[in-house]
Amino acid sequence: MKKTVDVAIPIGPVHPCWKEPVRIKCETKGEQVLSVEVELGYMKKGIERIMRGRPWQEVMFLAERVCGICSVVHNMVFIETMEAISEIEPTERAAFLRVIVNELDRMQSHLIANFSYCYTIEHETLAMYLLNEREHVMDMIERITGNRVNTAYMIPGGVRYDLRPEDAESLRETLALLEKNLDRYMRIFENGPMIALRSRDIGILTKEDALMAHAVGPTARASGIATDLRTTHPTYRKLDFEPVVRTEGDNYARIMVRFEELFRSIGLIRRALAMMPEGPVRGGGICKGGEIRYSGEAPRGELTYFVKADRYGRVEDIAIQTPSIMNIDACTHHMLKGVLSVADVTATFISSDPCIACNER
Amino acid sequence: MNEYLYEKDLRPLKYHILTGPRQDWTAREMALRLGVRIQSVRSHLIERLDMSDLENMPARFEAGVAAMNGEDPVADALGRDLFVVSIGMFTPEEMEAAYARTRALVDNGMPLDEAIVEGKAALKEVLAP
Repeated sequence: MKKTVDVAIPIGPVHPCWKEPVRIKCETKGEQVLSVEVELGYMKKGIERIMRGRPWQEVMFLAERVCGICSVVHNMVFIETMEAISEIEPTERAAFLRVIVNELDRMQSHLIANFSYCYTIEHETLAMYLLNEREHVMDMIERITGNRVNTAYMIPGGVRYDLRPEDAESLRETLALLEKNLDRYMRIFENGPMIALRSRDIGILTKEDALMAHAVGPTARASGIATDLRTTHPTYRKLDFEPVVRTEGDNYARIMVRFEELFRSIGLIRRALAMMPEGPVRGGGICKGGEIRYSGEAPRGELTYFVKADRYGRVEDIAIQTPSIMNIDACTHHMLKGVLSVADVTATFISSDPCIACNER
Repeated sequence: MNEYLYEKDLRPLKYHILTGPRQDWTAREMALRLGVRIQSVRSHLIERLDMSDLENMPARFEAGVAAMNGEDPVADALGRDLFVVSIGMFTPEEMEAAYARTRALVDNGMPLDEAIVEGKAALKEVLAP
């Protein structure tokens, strides 16, 4: 696997631009990166092994601890997996509430991803603006679910808490504020000449490479692949969801896809609030046994749970395929290969929104 | 005693990844397709792939199998694109040698099944020389 190179540059495991520990070794020729090797194992949790043999009531809390950023979607996909096994339908109001909380989770995840990218390319002003907006979203998640990160909001047949009218009003106001501010920040990114120098035509992931590495989420959508599992989700279909797709495949496109998706999320939440009927939020139901593969669209892309449960709803076997597994592979083995400057390695890596906690589980 | 902090032996960690539920299933499936022991497949994967490749191996395998179009039965049976392009388990030269040998046998009148066994034997030599 080794090549004759000028120098092999290790980046990480601890690096100012990394949120989590990972080491990538860049084999270089002059300034050009020839190939990249990834070393993981600095935060292996073994969470799939911990989940095995436990009742679903315990596994649902473990599932959202796979990732500290997109914890809501892990909760949602695991619960929908158990519902699919047990043929439980959430109540209609709860289904819309799930969409609202899931989209808020996607917004805070995209905001922290774009914050990380701006911070990495040394545009700290925009980075801090974005982090500030993320706090508004986090406040909304806390207001609806009672917690900022590990919410355990979704349960089989529904959600834990209803949305109070005053919370709905506060959510509408926050969305209006976010829409106004994010529009300004997106234009700063879109038109910034220095940002363009660090982002356009850098870290290109072609459509063919994205397909080969099975890239998912905004990383794939920025390379022209219209893949988004929300288009097949029954509640999202009622909301007329259309995915954001760009074709450039570079760092700029990946960040812009996330910016544009923030506005899609705002639209989805508004439509969900408007269409949400009155009624109960807990439908009940008993989890049963069975084996299934179930996928949902996480902020970073396709999240798949493979669950085998016994007749008491105890998880006998489980495997979790997180989107970062595919995206980190696509990034390190395709985007970074051929990058013309070592200085672009960190920015390109961060542009794929890598989550090491998800990757190592 | 001083030890290098980062240049450590990664084989135990790679083995941990390979024994994950999805990776284990995929490695067994690959061993079955190639007609070799799973131990050979694991050892070869640990040697050739980095940790990110190993984590993503099940998704790449599924994408590779889905991309098989049935146009060339010899290529599909040997997994020419699957094991070279999708997984990166064999180099193009190694696979091309096995493919050329199989193709020559088929062209000389040998039944396809028997020729594929010969081609897989060439790949087996790469896995366990």
